[in-house]
Amino acid sequence: MSAIPPPPNGSYPPPPGGLPPGNGGYGEYGGMQPNFGTPPNNYLVWAILTTILCCLPFGIVSIIKAAEVNSKWAGGDFAGAYASSAAAKKWATVSAIVGVVVGVIYVASGLATTTGSFSQF
Amino acid sequence: MLTTLTEHLTHVATRAAPYWRPVAVGVTALGAVALVATVDPHEAGHYPTCPSLFITGFWCPGCGSLRALHSLAHGDLVGALGMNILVVVAVPYLLWRWGGWLAATLGRPPRRRLAPAWAIWLLLGGILAFTVARNIPMFGPLLAP
Repeated sequence: MSAIPPPPNGSYPPPPGGLPPGNGGYGEYGGMQPNFGTPPNNYLVWAILTTILCCLPFGIVSIIKAAEVNSKWAGGDFAGAYASSAAAKKWATVSAIVGVVVGVIYVASGLATTTGSFSQF
Repeated sequence: MLTTLTEHLTHVATRAAPYWRPVAVGVTALGAVALVATVDPHEAGHYPTCPSLFITGFWCPGCGSLRALHSLAHGDLVGALGMNILVVVAVPYLLWRWGGWLAATLGRPPRRRLAPAWAIWLLLGGILAFTVARNIPMFGPLLAP
């Protein structure tokens, strides 16, 4: 697991298969490099955790946003990828908070103990 | 009092080793798994019913996850698959990402390449299909908890 060695000065090899389209206008990100810089976090772990732990609608939105991060980054839309990353973080936070609040209300209301004849989680 | 405690904790956190977060999360997760492994979710009344099942009457993609985790902790892969396939798929991924997080705090350089987006779209489609299918009586015995 060593770090990627830096390429020799000024001799980046051309990417196989040519450059992807739609790369113009991002000169400040490194011009001809399609994958330059550190990709944003897609928060997929949070999306999966909230989906499995019962906050379904927001968990699904988080997964969609996570897919958008990877999709936009691969297509050269770096600003869009960062925007989707921020949205993924927001929805993961929303689902976590809603999940905790609903869970507390649910348990505190006594519904949880009076209904289940067996555990359904 | 609370402010002083928060300041104290922040001070401790900033001075602590950089890997304290993944280690703390790992210890907490191990504790949670130990609890679920000890207090059997297959038995009545040990845990509350899943809220979304109680409200909607449908199995959500997370229903059966505690029982699947219990079965996994006891090495019963078939039992876990019968309760919630999604959990069996998610656990290795979560372990892998936790390892990546720990490695990053230990100084590994960040990833330069992302997973292909189609893999996440496939995951999304799989979760939606799984949610629908486990509520269809024909697939219920196989997919519902």
